[in-house]
Amino acid sequence: MHIDLVAPGLEAVIGKNPPLDRIAYGLLFGEGPVWDRRTEQLFYVDILSNTIWKWKRGVGKEIVLHPSGYADGMTFDIEGRLVVAGWSARTVWRLEHDGSIRTLVSHYQGQKLNTPNDIVVKSDGSIYWTDMAGGLMIAGMVAPDLQQYRDALGVFRLSPNGEQVDFVVDTNCVAPNGLAFTPDEKILYLNDSRLGTIRAFDVQPDGSLTGERLFHKLSGDEEGVADGMKVDSVGNVYCTGPGGIHVIDSGGNLLGRMRIPGHCTNMGWGDSDWRSLYITTCDSVWRTRVNIPGVATW
Amino acid sequence: MNWTFEKIAGPYQGSCGGLAWDGQAMLFSTISEGCLMRFRPESEKAEVFRRYTNRVNGIAFGPNGELYGCQEGGRRVIEFLRDGSAVVHAHLLDGKVHNYPGDLVVDRSGRVWFTDPYHPVPSTGVQIFPLLDHASVLRLECDHTRSAVRGTWSIKRVTFDTVAPRAVLLSPDEKILYVAEGDVGEESVRELRAYPVRDDGSVGVHTVLHVFGSDYRGTHRGIEGMCLDSDGNIVAVGGWQRSGPGPLVHVFSPTGAVLESHELPGDMPVRCAFGDQDLDALYVTTAKGLVYRARAIGRKGFRSAH
Repeated sequence: MHIDLVAPGLEAVIGKNPPLDRIAYGLLFGEGPVWDRRTEQLFYVDILSNTIWKWKRGVGKEIVLHPSGYADGMTFDIEGRLVVAGWSARTVWRLEHDGSIRTLVSHYQGQKLNTPNDIVVKSDGSIYWTDMAGGLMIAGMVAPDLQQYRDALGVFRLSPNGEQVDFVVDTNCVAPNGLAFTPDEKILYLNDSRLGTIRAFDVQPDGSLTGERLFHKLSGDEEGVADGMKVDSVGNVYCTGPGGIHVIDSGGNLLGRMRIPGHCTNMGWGDSDWRSLYITTCDSVWRTRVNIPGVATW
Repeated sequence: MNWTFEKIAGPYQGSCGGLAWDGQAMLFSTISEGCLMRFRPESEKAEVFRRYTNRVNGIAFGPNGELYGCQEGGRRVIEFLRDGSAVVHAHLLDGKVHNYPGDLVVDRSGRVWFTDPYHPVPSTGVQIFPLLDHASVLRLECDHTRSAVRGTWSIKRVTFDTVAPRAVLLSPDEKILYVAEGDVGEESVRELRAYPVRDDGSVGVHTVLHVFGSDYRGTHRGIEGMCLDSDGNIVAVGGWQRSGPGPLVHVFSPTGAVLESHELPGDMPVRCAFGDQDLDALYVTTAKGLVYRARAIGRKGFRSAH
């Protein structure tokens, strides 16, 4: 892999020469990579071909769901169920153990959500997701209703019991996209595709977010924007951006960039040691290995 | 007769687009602002009718009052439903995402004829789908014989000889498809074409009703928007201040005779439509974000059976 070294600390985080293997290609818009540790499979989506896929080493890929409602970000909840930012479906939904689909949230204060983009589950079972409007607007993505009703874009939280929905970030959002907790879950990072920012919020015991501040501003003019974002087990932040994946230390300083061919969309930690990083681009799924394990998904 | 245009709305940011009279008020699109506005002649006020249109340009009503819009930002024709929602019936031509729908006309059987040119402003989000290798008039239509409940929607290609269709119109008997063809530039012609419409919905070889030229300042802009008057004549707006005779509204007979021409105020007219209670006023939008109206012009709009 080609590396842009910015600070000497990068090598300790990602190693000297991380590999880059392509495990799937021919996608239109890869996204949502998430590792299932039980079966050692990677789940990911191709938004524009309206499909959720899974891939297993030595076996290959298989369709999980089609049509998927142009599903986008995915993760597992604390019971090991796939939870999905439904994007053009305008819902957040869950794949139950019996294979059925259950809509968790479709409305807020009586109005349809816009388009849930990415999603993360906290260890208490609460679910946070970003809501932007791209899934109503982008060519090839067809929502059953493409009228935007809600003005505000931001971050929602569903309480652990699944009953209370709160709009926990509603300020300074143009295209709120990736979100990730620090390993201790005391801070939530939120990026914005249009603004190129990563902001940090203090997570309160009740799940609300306070203390908004700028954590990092992405740089570069290559292809790619702030989109998917993940954190490793010591608090380094991996965020898609111009040229590939930007690796940022917990103080908000850019350590360097992992140059990924194509337009990088998201990433997920995987393999039994959580040291593999599965990376989606528009047309491919890539895998690399780094030194410091990521935060386990579930 | 002198046509006197007054500004009735604007300026809006960026270009205004399509116009459609809903029986009581004139709807018009503010493409860049992403709204449909509704101008009521009684109050002389334009109010927001729809927001977040994702760059809808042309708008038109169908035979049952269904409202369609050419959504440039999403590269598709959409329908605005009365309950406030919006839907896509079909968005692929032979499996491919088409270009940027711009102008449209709906026939009596509910088929939506629309221009699908290239466009300098990219669609919303990451550019995944290449443009088609042609810029044509397309038609969105529903086959009710194949599914009793909802019908089967599809998109068909209508023209095979256009490079930059900009405006479409059907004659009162729907046997002629008028197309304003040609982009501004030295490579292409800008002309008003008349295609005979066959019974199967395909079109035959076109005739040219009018050709726009060039002068030392550059090519003339040609026609950007058209509508029918009650006699079946073609009312067309086009031109610009940069070259030629400037922004004009022409009235062409069905055979292409120029019956009258009038100067338009402002610059860069985009579309025109008849409105007001007796359809006796002509509304014109411009790329400068303005909407004009001329009353008592001695012509009325074509009142379709629907």
